Amino acid sequence: MTKKILGPQEFKELEEDIQLTLLHNDGVHVGKRKLHGKTLILFQLHGFYVEILYKEYRKKIYYMLVSADTEMLQPYLDQIHVRDLQKHKGKD
Amino acid sequence: MTQSLPPKSLVLHADDDPDDIEIVKEAFKPYPNVEVVSFGNGEALLENAAYLSSLGLNPCLIILDINMPRLGGKELLKELRNRKEFDETAIILFSTSTLPNEAAFAKTLNAGFVTKPLHAKQVDQIADIFITQCPEEVRQRLRQSGRTDH
Repeated sequence: MTKKILGPQEFKELEEDIQLTLLHNDGVHVGKRKLHGKTLILFQLHGFYVEILYKEYRKKIYYMLVSADTEMLQPYLDQIHVRDLQKHKGKD
Repeated sequence: MTQSLPPKSLVLHADDDPDDIEIVKEAFKPYPNVEVVSFGNGEALLENAAYLSSLGLNPCLIILDINMPRLGGKELLKELRNRKEFDETAIILFSTSTLPNEAAFAKTLNAGFVTKPLHAKQVDQIADIFITQCPEEVRQRLRQSGRTDH
């Protein structure tokens, strides 16, 4: 049976708990950065990216930005390990 | 008459991210008889673990971030497993991503693999998850040291 790959729009429509569980279980961490004293983490999930802005690191979330635009990678380029990023076809 | 305190269970943790060091320290706060000693890189953990072991202070659990400069968690795990004093110590690779190859690598060296938490509920559970990955004897010792939930 083929596993359906979730797209960014479908991901956006999920409840936050489910989104975070998916990221925790299947997301690939791309990098971490600070902006105005707040921490941001970027994940790749299947063929799109999810950036989490924390109010309190790893505890309280301000928002999640979801997009397939590779511009999301720009602030993290110095941290990217290319071999760790998954191809869109995803894992078996 | 003086009454001696029970010995603390020693947990060693290496991570180059100060925020994640705080997360692990906080996770073990409900376990007052667990002492978490943290290091900002793998080399410092290796040196100190060897020194502490020479004094008879053996950790019951070692937690290693994977991506650290100079000596990463996977290399450090291999190094620790090559040393007689740590060849059976409970060790966990603590990673930001669930990469199957890294979890498999940990397993080949008889180590656990835990993904870093993303939200408060997972943070609250992380010490229990660490403890669950330890061998039975270590689990019992850490659980005896108590979880003092408020």
